[in-house]
Parts: sequence; structure tokens; C-alpha cells
Amino acid sequence: MSNCNCEQPLVPHIVEVINIVEETPDVKSFYVRNVGGGLPYQVMPGQCSMLSLPVGEGMFSCTWQEGQEYQQYAIKRVGLLTEELHRIEVGQKLGLRGPYGNGFPVEASKGKDMLFIAGGIGLAPLRSFIKYCFKNRADYGKITIIYGSRSYNDLCFKNELFEEWPKEPDTEVYITIDNPEEAWNGHVGFVPAYVEELAPDPAGKVSVTCGPPIMIKFALQSLQKLGFKDEQIITTLEMRMKCGIGKCGRCNIGSQYICLDGPVFDLTQLKQLPQEW
Amino acid sequence: MKAISDKIKSIAAGLFDAGKIDVFIGWEENHPDYAIRPYIARSKADLEHMAFNQYAIHNSSTYLLKLRDGQERIGIVVKGCDSRGIVRLLEDRQIQRERLYIIGVCCPGMKDPLLAIKAQSGLVDVKEEELAVKCQNCLVPNPVIYDELIGEKQPPHMSGERFAKVKAIENMSYDERYQFFEKEFAKCIRCYACRQACIACDCRTCIYDEMRPQWVGRETSTSDNMMYHLVKALHMAGRCIECGECERICPVDIPLMLINNKLAKDANHFFGPYEAGMSYVEGQKPALSVYREDDPDDFI
Amino acid sequence: MKVLSKDKVTALLDKIAQQAAVFVPMANENGSGFYPWNDEHKTRPLLLNALNVYTSPKYVLFPQTERMYDLKQQGQDLSIGQTHEDGSKRVIFGVRACDARAIRCLDDVFLTRGFVDSFYQARRDNVTLIGNACYAPGVNCFCEAMGVAMTEPETDIILRDAGDEGYIWEVKTEPGEKLTQAVAEFLSDKELKAPEAKAFQTQVDYAGVAEKLKGMFDDPIWERMSQPCVNCGACTYICPSCHCFDIQVKMWGDQGYRFRCWDSCMYAEYTAEAGGGNPRPTGVERFRNRFLHKLQFFNERYGYALCTGCGRCTIVCPTGVRITDIIKEIKEVDSSVEL
Repeated sequence: MSNCNCEQPLVPHIVEVINIVEETPDVKSFYVRNVGGGLPYQVMPGQCSMLSLPVGEGMFSCTWQEGQEYQQYAIKRVGLLTEELHRIEVGQKLGLRGPYGNGFPVEASKGKDMLFIAGGIGLAPLRSFIKYCFKNRADYGKITIIYGSRSYNDLCFKNELFEEWPKEPDTEVYITIDNPEEAWNGHVGFVPAYVEELAPDPAGKVSVTCGPPIMIKFALQSLQKLGFKDEQIITTLEMRMKCGIGKCGRCNIGSQYICLDGPVFDLTQLKQLPQEW
Repeated sequence: MKAISDKIKSIAAGLFDAGKIDVFIGWEENHPDYAIRPYIARSKADLEHMAFNQYAIHNSSTYLLKLRDGQERIGIVVKGCDSRGIVRLLEDRQIQRERLYIIGVCCPGMKDPLLAIKAQSGLVDVKEEELAVKCQNCLVPNPVIYDELIGEKQPPHMSGERFAKVKAIENMSYDERYQFFEKEFAKCIRCYACRQACIACDCRTCIYDEMRPQWVGRETSTSDNMMYHLVKALHMAGRCIECGECERICPVDIPLMLINNKLAKDANHFFGPYEAGMSYVEGQKPALSVYREDDPDDFI
Repeated sequence: MKVLSKDKVTALLDKIAQQAAVFVPMANENGSGFYPWNDEHKTRPLLLNALNVYTSPKYVLFPQTERMYDLKQQGQDLSIGQTHEDGSKRVIFGVRACDARAIRCLDDVFLTRGFVDSFYQARRDNVTLIGNACYAPGVNCFCEAMGVAMTEPETDIILRDAGDEGYIWEVKTEPGEKLTQAVAEFLSDKELKAPEAKAFQTQVDYAGVAEKLKGMFDDPIWERMSQPCVNCGACTYICPSCHCFDIQVKMWGDQGYRFRCWDSCMYAEYTAEAGGGNPRPTGVERFRNRFLHKLQFFNERYGYALCTGCGRCTIVCPTGVRITDIIKEIKEVDSSVEL
């Protein structure tokens, strides 16, 4: 389940921030590594870490781990901790503990066509899987990415979205924004509707959806409408977390702890859970 | 009590029949009799479960907070102290008078179900008393606001001087007082029962639940506990209607009404004559919610 | 068999207290709880004959506030100072079966399923439990219905009150044996008979409830049963098995410490998200989660209930919420009706 052997799972490692990239007006990517180099632990796509400053700790999905060089976390400014994080500069030391959660089914998806559906900051966790597929390109079939956000400015990772990923072999990238904008010639509308419009064929596909809860709900409905079976529909759930290790209680949905048993579930599993997400 | 209980049910049934109310707040019968609990009937059929007995001590007006955002027309049973809670909510603009049909019960004084259950629990050494502690010094047994009144008007039950306990504290030296409260607040487990059961605690987000910024630490240390009780006390000044629920339900027996009584005494002394929640006058505000240039400031 | 005569209890406690902190059921003004057997507290009346005490021994293993590690920030530097795992020797004396089961719940939560909580483990590895078998359940007791054997507390040593002649001293584990050797001078060899267990006064039928609850998440009984609840945390803080906690920080300028403290699923803030949402927005959802956790979710994860039938929540609830009533009402719901 986890490759953390730490004796003290609630006590963080100290890492340093080596790069900060402004992805959107309220999303920044933080690149972290051990002070002086190397990583405190390995993170698989979809797994999370608890990042901390003195003011508090917060659970964030790892956006990408680059070899043994760095881990990247794309973080949206929404609360007390994230406001503090958005004020820090390169060189800042942070607390980091993990890895937490089950991660995406990178192994079980091998040989399949991949359909990635993301909304807003939801691309941050998904990107780890997308990049993993590109890195192990031969293991996966066709890759389709459908991504949307409120506005052009709110689209994360623009360079990859518009320049890099469309150039990858056998890859299609579809982008939409919620409302029309003057300089925008692309698609306008919500992600779930766009998914239905594009109507990807479920045959041989695995879909992975990540985004705000309301988008997930509708996107899952759209996928079912298109004929995707429950086990082909994978998504992530979010709840407030404190410990990250299945002890503190608050992130439960039914008997499952999102921090430990999730955050990744397929629709077969979700249907077993109470509708509290 | 049986007569009161039957009367409440028949009035409530009539209100449902006449389409005057959508819900009715009272108590639900349970076994044993001290397990009677607050209840919200949503139809005439639900009234079957309802009852009123000598253990119906909870402040029924607190339950209006569960319905404050709705449109339902509400029937509610209140004792004297509960009715002052309604005045509190009206003054705080938490509920509209038009939504309420108030059945007042002239209260002979209640027994404390917590004492009843604790006395039999085998865990603590307490005995049940004839009258709940909070009812032993009751100024207002008769409802101050109602649409219909049940029972004979009751005289106040005052055993001794109203502020005797407060005066005893006032007569302590500064150090003695500090030690007294330090010892009491050290016991606090921060369960917030005193806040949750308080009708004057009608803020939508309590300052203690506020995380941005976090005003008070979550540590159960004497200093954080004192901070909690100090801030709560200041929010009660001129607003506490002295229903005594906070002290009754405190699981660690902190004498919270000492503080509230002191505040009531001071509000009256500095700004009075003033007694919180004794009648509702449209637009009326609690003493400390009004600013006047000639307000005394010698206590600052 | 080994026997501890009643006049030797305090001498035995004194002896154990030389090597470990001993927590003993004692009275405290209007309350009662497990207090350390030391000069400050040992003058209080001992409550080994009482049904149980008001405050459970949970806090010995899982303190309400527990400092975890020190923190220091200087400019861009951040460092972790000392961590505060507390592995000092402790003995809890006179634990009832319900509270011993609650400790097993805590053990399963903190020590199993992927991660071991080092703060809990340090305390747990160094605690010896001396149980006190029950033979006469109280009005609010229903441990048997929750799968707890009142005469067999899950402890290292079991005391059985055989009346004036003393306690039968029954050793159950290796740590129990070790402690027994250390206090051998206070034990004698004698044949005593344990008392007959009396019947439960409160009948609760929990059989099948966990399974039945699987289909009752959206049942209207949650709205109804949560009506009296004012969402305070008294039940969760008095409960011997509630283990939810919050992680918080205390800083003075650039120094401080991160600590954990008990939290309650009854509070709105418990699941409030940084972005402003809350998956359990009202008291109804929070009430439902608490009782489902006690009666269903924990079973699904660990194989038994998180309620041990001690009855404390019923005694402390300001508004008369009774978990036994809730179990009864769940049983009475006609589950053949489609919602």
C-alpha cells in the first residue's frame, strides 16, 4: 500500500523549495527536494503528501515526481495554509510527509487507451498520471485529454496543454472554458457536456476524472451515458484531512478513509459507499 | 403535569388542523420518564409521541435555531425561561414573530434529568433533588411572551438572595478570585456543550470555529480554556436570559451561571434598570448592543 | 490461585508506583475518574467497588492534548526539534471490560491498517492493564450486547472481587506475569470463588444492526433521531473509544510545537473544507456519521463495533439522546420498504 517506512509517520521531513512557477493567477507549482538534493520518499501518480508551514498542514496530490530530482505540487490558493504558501519564495523550507493514498492504477491500466477528464485544479493530480503515460508511452494506447476551467487564465500547465502534449504520438487534447472570452477561439462549455459531445468510444478505454465534486458527479453520469462500465470509470475523492494515515477519523466516507483507502476509486467501489461525496 | 401535557397536545392538534402551523416544537415521551427529549413534530400524527413532564427542562427555544432559515410556521411550547430565549432570538433577529405560535406553560419548576440519570449511573456520587438547581432561583416561572397560556401563574422560586453567590466571589481578593476560576476552567474539556445549548449563542459561525484566523487555540490548557470562557462571557453580557442550561449540562460541573449572573448584575447596575429578554418590543436591543454617549465607562 | 487481600491494595499500589505511574479509579468531588496514585491524588476515595468511573482511562493512552514535536522557523529555515513520544512506564489499575474493549479499539485504529502511530505506540507498549471483572451491570450498561464479556476484561491481569476475602488475581499475559512477580509479596495463595454474574438490567439487541445499517444511510430516522441533539461534543469526549483528533500548532513568534487534540465529529468545523464547502453541512449528517461510525463503519473496517456499551454518552447527553434507543429504532425500521 505504501512505501513509507518512516518510524514516525506524523512527523514531517524538512524539504526545500527549489522552484516556484505561477500556473494561473491563483495556482502556483512548488518544486521541492531534500535540503541539498534527493527526495525523502517516492510518490506514485495519484499519491499525496502532507505539506506544512508552521501555520498548518495540508494534503496535496503530487503533480509530478521527476526522477530523484524533485517533487512538484501545484497548489491553489483557497485557505489559510495555501495563502501562506503563495507568499513564500524559493529557498523556503517546508515540512513534507507521505506518501499517502493508493494512487492511480498505473499498472492495471497498461495496454488500455486512456481518457483523462479534468476540471480546474483537478488537472494537478491527473497530470502525474498523464506524464507517467508519456514517459512509459509504449505501455499505454491512445491518450485523450479533456480539460476545462472557468476561464483561459485559469487553465493550468498551458505550455503542456497547448504545445507539448498535442505533439505527443497518438494523443488528443481537448480544451474548454466555461464562458466565452474575446480572445478565445476554442470550445466553450462545461466539461461533462464536452465529454458527451466528443463521445469517446468506451471500447478498450480507462477513464480517469478529477476536478471539483460537482464536475465529477456530472462527468461520471456522462461517462455512464456513453456506455463506460463502472470499472472503466476512475475518479478521486476529496475530504478534509488531518493525519493522512487513517487514524484521525474525519476523511471517512462510509468505512473508507480517503487518505488511506483513496483518494482513487472506481465507480464499482463508489457505488458501495454512502452518497456523501 | 398530565393535564398540561394533554392540553399542549390538544392545542397543537388544533393548530395543525387549522393549518396554522407546519411544525411543532415540544418534547417526546420516552422511557424512563427522565429520558423525555426535545422533539419537532412535523404533522398531527407525530403529536402522538409528544409529552410534557417534570423533566422537560431543556430550553425549547434553542430548537428554533434549527429552523431559522426555513419558512415553516412553528408552534412551540415554552416555560418561563424558554420564553425569554424567544425574546433573545427576536431581538437578535434570528426568527420572525409571525412564524411563531407560542404556547406558554406557567412552570412549577423542573427536575433535572441529568441528575436523575447520574444518580442511578453508579459512576458518580450525586442525588436527585426535588427541584433542578437552575429552578431553585427562578425569577421568571411564567412565560413573558406567548399566544396562549397554560396553567396557573406561578410565584418566583427564590431561595435566598439572588446574587448571593456572585457577591461571595466579589468579596474574594483578586488572587483568590483568579485561583477560583483557574481551578474551575482547568476542568473544561472544551466539548462546547455550554455553547451549543445556549440560546444566546446564535452566531452562525462561532469565533471558536473560525479558522481564518484562528482566534483561540484548540489546546485544552488552562489558558486556552480561560480565553474561551472569557470571550463567551463577554458575548453573554446583557444577552444571557439566565435559563441555566449551560451550567446544568456541563459534563464537568463548571459553575457557569456564576459568570452569567455577575454579568446580569453588572448590566443592570451600569445600564439599568435592565433585565435581558423580559419582554419583546419591536426594535428593542440588548443593553450592550446600544451605544450612547453618556454610557458609563468607569469599568474600563 | 493468587489472591490480593483488600487491606493490601494500597500497599500494592504504593509498590507499583515506585516503578510506574499508576492510574486508579477514584472519586473527585461530584465526578470520578482514573487519577495517578501519587501524593496529590491518593487521598481521594478509591472506587474499586463502584460500577465504573465517569472519566475513562482513555486519556492515559491518548491524552486530550498531546504535544508531538517542536518547530522552529527562522527566515526561510524550518526545523523540527524534539519529538515527544512518551514511553514512560504506566499501569492502569481497575479497568472495566467496556473500557478495556475501548482500548482494543484504539489499538486497532492507531497500530494497524498500514501505519503505526508512533505517539500512541510509545504509550501503549509501556502500559500494563489490570482489569476489574464486572458481576453486577448497572442500569445503563449494555456491554454484552456489543460483544464484550463483562467478567473477562481484555487486560494483562484480571481482578475478581470475591468479597471480604479479597480479589482473585488472574494473570493473562506476559507483561501481567512480570508485574505479578514484582508485587508477589502482596499476593497470597488461596482458593476463592468468583461471584455469580447478575443479569443485565437493560436489554439491547445489536444483532444484525451493522448489516442492516448498510441500507439505511438515507433513512428518515436520522433526521428524526438527531432532533434533540444540539451537536455539542460531550458524548464524543466522554466516550472511551472515540479517537478522532485534530492536529494544530502553537507558536510564539518563530518557535512552537505541533500538537494533536481530541476533536469531535459533532462540530461543523470538523469536515469544513478550506475552500468553504462542507460535506456534512448540518447536525443531521454529523449525528448520522457518529452513530454509523459506532455501529456500522467500524465493524466494516475492524470486525466489531466501536461502541462498548459503557453507557457514558447516555449519562452525559444534555438532551437525552440514548444510543440504546437508536439501536432499538434501527431494529424496528421496516427494511423491506424501498426508500
